[in-house]
Amino acid sequence: MENQSGSKTAGKAIRCRAAVCRNPGEALIIEEIEVEPPKAWEIRIKILCTSLCHSDITFWKISTGPFAVFPRIFGHEAVGVVESVGAHVEEVEEGDRVVPVFHPNCRECGDCKSQKGNECSIFGYKVETKMPRDATSRFKGMNGEDMHHFFYVSSFTQYTVVDVANVVKISNQIPVDKACLLSCGISTGIGAAWKVADIEQGSTVAIFGLGAVGLAVAEGARLRGASKIIGVDLNEEKFEIGRKFGVTDFINPTACVEKKVSEVIMGITDGGADYSFECIGLASLMEDAFHCTRQGWGKTVILGVEKHATPLPLNTYFLLRGRSVSGCFFGGLKPKSDIPMLAHKYLNKELNLDGFITHQLSLQDINKAFHLMLQGKCIRCIIWMD
Amino acid sequence: MADTKTCSETAGKPIRCKAAISREAGEPLVIEEIMVAPPSPYEVRIRIICTSLCYSDITFWKLKAPPACFPRILGHEAVGVVESVGENVNEVAAGDVVIPTFMSECGECVDCRSKHSNLCSKLPFKINPWMPRYETSRFTDLKGETLYHFLFVSSFSEYTVVDVCNVVKIDPSIPPKEACLFGCCVATGVGAACKTANVEAGSTVVIFGLGSIGLAVAKGAKLCGANRIIGVDVNPDKFEVAKKFGVTEFINSKECGDKSLSQVVLEMTGGGADYCFECVGISSLVEEAFASCRKGWGKTVVLGVDKPGAQLNLSSFDVLHSKKILTGCLYGGVKAKSDLPLLLKRYMDKELVVEEFVTHEVKFEDINKAFELLLGGKCIRCVIWMDK
Repeated sequence: MENQSGSKTAGKAIRCRAAVCRNPGEALIIEEIEVEPPKAWEIRIKILCTSLCHSDITFWKISTGPFAVFPRIFGHEAVGVVESVGAHVEEVEEGDRVVPVFHPNCRECGDCKSQKGNECSIFGYKVETKMPRDATSRFKGMNGEDMHHFFYVSSFTQYTVVDVANVVKISNQIPVDKACLLSCGISTGIGAAWKVADIEQGSTVAIFGLGAVGLAVAEGARLRGASKIIGVDLNEEKFEIGRKFGVTDFINPTACVEKKVSEVIMGITDGGADYSFECIGLASLMEDAFHCTRQGWGKTVILGVEKHATPLPLNTYFLLRGRSVSGCFFGGLKPKSDIPMLAHKYLNKELNLDGFITHQLSLQDINKAFHLMLQGKCIRCIIWMD
Repeated sequence: MADTKTCSETAGKPIRCKAAISREAGEPLVIEEIMVAPPSPYEVRIRIICTSLCYSDITFWKLKAPPACFPRILGHEAVGVVESVGENVNEVAAGDVVIPTFMSECGECVDCRSKHSNLCSKLPFKINPWMPRYETSRFTDLKGETLYHFLFVSSFSEYTVVDVCNVVKIDPSIPPKEACLFGCCVATGVGAACKTANVEAGSTVVIFGLGSIGLAVAKGAKLCGANRIIGVDVNPDKFEVAKKFGVTEFINSKECGDKSLSQVVLEMTGGGADYCFECVGISSLVEEAFASCRKGWGKTVVLGVDKPGAQLNLSSFDVLHSKKILTGCLYGGVKAKSDLPLLLKRYMDKELVVEEFVTHEVKFEDINKAFELLLGGKCIRCVIWMDK
């Protein structure tokens, strides 16, 4: 296959619309921007649709410190079509459908080649607000200002530029909006259930936080034959949705007056859950999740991003008695091999993705997605570019 | 030599014998005559052949607050001969050579039936003063005052009583001073490496604390085929000896200069160890061990017992981002009755050699010398022989 750029826009800057964040916690503004052509090892993508993930909100709110950079283009869960590629890019070409992923997967470093883990050491371990290889931006505002990238993806824009390590080619057969989901939250939850925890049939599972990630963990646990899937959430409306994803028991912590949540879970599971997942990002909940598992083999998986950098306090007493704690990014999955695997399962009707999409919006209404998520009224809002 | 009497003259009656009693926190043990009651149903009375001192005995000997209690008979690493059994005991009989274990295995509860746990829930591990089943003591001093048990074993006594769930029959030909080590340190360390961590061949392992437990982890890691076994200790005298146990490289944690211990380990291992074992019992060291593990798959196993209530603090972002695993185990995750025989077989097949652990031997009356040696970091295992 020749790597021809037949695109009329190849090699030139593209003018398009993007939802720009200029101040922390403020509504995004739809603006015209310029997207530069991809450099070596980069791919320019025409975004078809994108969705809002709570991690976008976490960083959107940050007002101080090295992560508070503006103006910025958020968004990291998306699907698109390759518009053009830079030098050395061979694995995708113009016209390919691709899913950008914040978690790199170069497939050449020792970590990528290892069966264990899903680390990729190509970019080191810094958190970047620009393109990973040369730390410069591909976005310019109409006044020529540089704009900051987000998590190597920046998908709240009609066009973006992404490193080849952050791109996964995906089949055209899977509906676009379902492909978009595999770019972050859903893959994270399913991967956590299947790869990091490796839930066996008959297991008991406790999930703290029934957002998209928590519900994806539930779906992953259900598919593995878990016997009990306990969902913990403050929002009782999540219970109905949770049922569709296999949640069998619900706990609203505000209703737990005499006992702690971990004690209630121990009661339901006759001693403690085999696996617990923290899918919110609060150290106190991570501690609860740790304490609700069964001694001897109970495993806690941390998925939530702790926004206050609060430390997680643990007592070695419990570690000695066999409990373990671990965490993961992107569910421990290797994006380039595992996203196609999940897409395949969806096409074979082995994996339910439809239930995650609760709202559809257009780019100009993107701020509605933020409102819905902040009010806990959506799971995934798909934001269409055209 | 095994006791070949099939019907003990003392069966069913209290035995008067010597014990080393801890009467006050941190004070030398006092050898006194005591009375040891006959075994209740499901219990076994054992004549101890020899026992060894473990730092966990010292931790609870020094501690003034609960779960420390006094007067107490400490000791939990030992080997002995069954003197008599209580009702309903069929798996051992008078004359059998046995290792008493602080970890129970009833064989019936969910945990005993699971291959993933060695934490019997029927007679759970507790640092409490009593026998596990009836919550009473079998020891009294000559004034009739109750003496407390320790870890269900209490081996610093010529005779002790343990539950049948805490007893493993062994081959009488195993030299007692090596057999007793399987009651704690050897099983804990080798089990932690081979069972809990499941160290793979070619791995890089870092062991924090080169006491008996750490050295046993080194033995286990070597059995598993680890490529590099890095030992970390504050005492450089331990380094030469540790080589015999399989340790390949050393870090003196007091000589890290401006760098943190974990930084030194990260540099030395090119990104972190595959497995880290904390074998001291200090929560801040557990944090260093966790930081010394490799991102992506590094596993940290906690073996050391810190003071009750000690907390360690992990960065939740580090836990999330690094995909490292933090866990721990008691007794190396080893099931006393199911796994110990397998470990002993490796010993009998000479795959696992333990004679290097025994650096000192004393008579029972000199038991306090064992404490001095261990507190001074001058011994690995000091075996205490009971008089015949």
